Amino acid sequence: MADLEISHLYDASPEAVFEAWTDPEQVARWWAPEGLSIPRESVLVDPRVGGRFELTMVDPSGTSYDLRATYVELVVPELIVLRSEPIPEAGIVEATITRATFEAEAGGCRMTITDGPYSDEIRGNAESGWRSLVVNLERLLAEGAGEP
Amino acid sequence: MATDQLSLIFGALADPTRREIIARLAEGEATAKELGEPFAISQPAISKHLKVLERAGLISRRRVAQARPTALRLEPLEEADAWIEWSRAVWRGRMERLGTHLKERDG
Repeated sequence: MADLEISHLYDASPEAVFEAWTDPEQVARWWAPEGLSIPRESVLVDPRVGGRFELTMVDPSGTSYDLRATYVELVVPELIVLRSEPIPEAGIVEATITRATFEAEAGGCRMTITDGPYSDEIRGNAESGWRSLVVNLERLLAEGAGEP
Repeated sequence: MATDQLSLIFGALADPTRREIIARLAEGEATAKELGEPFAISQPAISKHLKVLERAGLISRRRVAQARPTALRLEPLEEADAWIEWSRAVWRGRMERLGTHLKERDG
């Protein structure tokens, strides 16, 4: 399974964007997915290798989901690598590696995230391109061979 | 779909022999014997692979006398793809909110 990669150019310095990841007050403002909130007091940030990154997300029904992660790498203000523990009640059954880089670009900061892989068994086959397998299968089926 | 089901799917797809089996089944139903033919491994080993695929919900096996034709089911694969898209959507939203936060912070 290929890692997920996504990036965005922010109109802010790498230091400012990096700080948004390590200041608990700021983390509570932007980390939660749409519709969920993060109680400020639930955020724990200990930004050093082996330190913890933890918070609780609460959905509208009041159900809470705990994020528990450890810093694997940290280079101020360029790089953060977090290893998140599974959140079974949120359907996340595997540990996940999230890597964030912060690079100066065009007067701002390019932040690039890679997330995953989503299965330890797939990790060694990241290049196998199973997505292309699905595309090939769809093509074969569209050609009328076999039944879906 | 339960995400332990998704883990089963990813695990099932992790093996190159099983991926070949899926590609073969995309062309049409086949018996376990037919599926084993391209590989230099034993029929019991093929049976093990088919069990993994069946447990992941990727194949269905009809119990017809000795032949037991095996057919491909694509819906679980589409669900697994949806999992990645969901994760991508979560990160997109998060990155937008970070952008809004950075703007608000600078005033």
